[in-house]
Amino acid sequence: MALIFLVFTIALAPPTGVKASDAPDDGGGSMVIEWQLSKDDASLTGYEIFRSENGADFDKVNFIGNGKNAIQDETEDGKKYYYKIAALQDTNRVFSEVTPAVMSSPQWVDRNKLNIFIALAFFGFIILYYIYHARKGKELYIRKIAGLQAIDDAVGRATEMGKPILYTTGIGYIEDIATIASLNIIGEVAKKCAQYNTRFINPHSDPIVYTVAREIVKEAYSSVGRPDAFDPDSVYFVTDSQFAYAAAVDGIMVREKPATNFLIGWFRAESLIMAETGASTGAIQIAGTDQVSQLPFFVTACDFTLIGEELYAASAYISKEPLLMGGIKGEDFSKLIIGIALIGASIVGLLTKFPVLNLFK
Amino acid sequence: MSFMDRMLKIDRRIIYLILAVVVILPMLFNSPLSVRVMDPVQKLFNAVESIPPDKAMIVNFEYDPRDVPELQPMALSILRHAFTRRIKILVLCLYVQPLGMAQSALTQITEEFNKNAKSNADSILYGRDHVFLGWQPPPLVPILGMGESIANVYKTDYYGNQTDTLPLMKHVKNYRNVGLLISLSSSDVPRYWIEYAQNRFGLKVGAGVTAVSGSEFYSYLQTGQFSGLMVGMKGAAEYEEMIAKELHIKARRKASESMPSLTYAHLVMIAFIIIGNIGYFARRRKK
Amino acid sequence: MKKTLPLILVFIVGILGIIPFLIPHPYVQKTDDFFRNDIMKIVAAFALVLGLGSLIRVHYDKIKRHRENWQYSWILLVTFAVTAIIGLFGGVAGTGPLPTRISSFHFDIQSIYLNVEVPLGSTMFALLSFLMASAAYRAFRARSPEATLLLLSAFVVMIGILPFGDQISHRLPSFAQWIMDVPNVAAQRGILLGVALGMLATALKILLGIERNWLGGGE
Repeated sequence: MALIFLVFTIALAPPTGVKASDAPDDGGGSMVIEWQLSKDDASLTGYEIFRSENGADFDKVNFIGNGKNAIQDETEDGKKYYYKIAALQDTNRVFSEVTPAVMSSPQWVDRNKLNIFIALAFFGFIILYYIYHARKGKELYIRKIAGLQAIDDAVGRATEMGKPILYTTGIGYIEDIATIASLNIIGEVAKKCAQYNTRFINPHSDPIVYTVAREIVKEAYSSVGRPDAFDPDSVYFVTDSQFAYAAAVDGIMVREKPATNFLIGWFRAESLIMAETGASTGAIQIAGTDQVSQLPFFVTACDFTLIGEELYAASAYISKEPLLMGGIKGEDFSKLIIGIALIGASIVGLLTKFPVLNLFK
Repeated sequence: MSFMDRMLKIDRRIIYLILAVVVILPMLFNSPLSVRVMDPVQKLFNAVESIPPDKAMIVNFEYDPRDVPELQPMALSILRHAFTRRIKILVLCLYVQPLGMAQSALTQITEEFNKNAKSNADSILYGRDHVFLGWQPPPLVPILGMGESIANVYKTDYYGNQTDTLPLMKHVKNYRNVGLLISLSSSDVPRYWIEYAQNRFGLKVGAGVTAVSGSEFYSYLQTGQFSGLMVGMKGAAEYEEMIAKELHIKARRKASESMPSLTYAHLVMIAFIIIGNIGYFARRRKK
Repeated sequence: MKKTLPLILVFIVGILGIIPFLIPHPYVQKTDDFFRNDIMKIVAAFALVLGLGSLIRVHYDKIKRHRENWQYSWILLVTFAVTAIIGLFGGVAGTGPLPTRISSFHFDIQSIYLNVEVPLGSTMFALLSFLMASAAYRAFRARSPEATLLLLSAFVVMIGILPFGDQISHRLPSFAQWIMDVPNVAAQRGILLGVALGMLATALKILLGIERNWLGGGE
């Protein structure tokens, strides 16, 4: 019986070519152990991973099923480790050779992220290049954006009708780019309201955005020489609860019946509630958001909609400031490069066997 | 006013009334509809099935009370699936509002399982089979911090227990011990998990989202960044169908029960759009 | 100084946010960890206090000056105070020092959430379906070939995702799924790419101090 057992044990082929190395591109604390599958892999239960700190006393640290030939092990940096792999079949195990001593260590560079770094540097350079040229006085052209063209007319309409203007920046936080873009527009709208003596209503959903908007509107009134006309209660905080805010804005629309509603910023599901209520009161509505899921609602219910980066272009478009215009041109050029790369890669990928996608990995 | 003009000017209150009737009436007759399971949900089901036995699953609850009809059935189905397969679960929220929803779902499912359990081994025990980590602001803190150490980010769980004393947490240290994260959200949160957790730590991510935001996540499913996707009430009904068919789980299928109301509401909206267009074309022809 | 210090802070913190993404070394990760786990939590706590303070101030001011609908401000402040006390002292499941139960009537924070917040939020969200119907009826017109194509796609998707669609034709759900997987994804990707580049440009402009409106206006 012992002989039969010995025959079976000897017959079981061990895994070979065991290699242990420091896991690459990480912050340390990890080793990669690889091996070649045992010739009897199909009949194995799996592989046991044994580890030692002195090359003599081994402890089992992991287990992996058959068919797999690599595993990552958590280790302490700076300590030497020895590994061996056991092919396991029921309770029978056959060991591989022991690896030389290896140590894990942290790396300074994650090579997997290099492509992102290169893309960041490349597109950032393009944007900065156009900003630099704009600074030198080069004239830059931006096409007409209907929603932004309509701001003057919208404010004029409210003035003629003697009704107020409602401006909401949505429910975003100050770090949301759409909110920042909206704050860029609110100053211009407030300036026109100050010039035409039109009442301005601006409820907010975030306390920090409210604080910033209040300062911007106050400054807008001062810049056109009407600091006395600024009503501090025209810019106010309502609630940060999404639908409670929507209910508050709807209430303002139905009670005050503004002639023009600006719905510009970061919105979620409450966008349709506000837009449709505004449409039912007969107001002109100018909306803008980068939330793709809300764009269909705004396009349906509003007269003008700023889609995605049209919103980001607003500050450049309205102020015509060269540095901001340069940023927009940089963005557009970057999009052109991406578009050409996509079309080129698609053609190459479709017509040839060249693994074009690997270029971007 | 001519008939065609009337078609263009139907009072919105009539539209609301008809819609209310077609949504409410089917609910009175409780007749769940079977749905065909599509690829995105099948992928998510397979992703849960293929979680290795030594890895846990994180379920991220990110929805508010208003999203309960769409997302709560998804949560209940995911939890039923995981507990049936004895997959260890960590539950967390990135914002404070969904905490109540998470607790409610966990309580309901653990009670459901423990009612039929015959021994400790069969039961779903807190600390051994699942841990409710709670909420840790701001959102980026847990998303990035858990890549290094979950117990460092959540020093105590939702109930005030030290997380490193819980049996489950002895084996689940960071994302390397997590086989899949499913984010149930009505907002952009699934994208954060991809941008930060998946890009940095290679975490597999699946998502359950509302129908209104679903269209923007298909591109992530196509690239493989999402392991699977449930969209809206239909997605929830599909997952209910999967766990009933594959795992023979018998439980109330709330999303499937809502499918008749959804069906009639869609048909009513299509009818009104057609009526509006008929009126529009008739008026155009008159001019 | 009022403008210069925030600009310098934004630049430094912005760069410190990008570096840990590229460098996995523990020295860098631990610093980033400290900023995220400790500093950001403190900042978030202050923002919470700011918001609560602003809310109380606005409504107190409204009550003091008896502005329009000032009575509702009383309701807000009273419910805010009561809920805060119950939440702080009543414990998560009514296990705190403050009793939150009178025979079978529970008023712990979880019960308030489930019985007040949940139905209110669901009611508001439910309005969406009605508003969607009225918006669709009012605005979805086949005014042009593109609009007609859009309408037809919408019909296919709306019917295709329903069990009813599968009964009309077995191909309809797959076709609806194809519309979501291919044309929809193509359009979404186009907008996403543009938005991503716009965000990169705006973030760069803020980091470098070119975009300064967020500081609060003025020089």
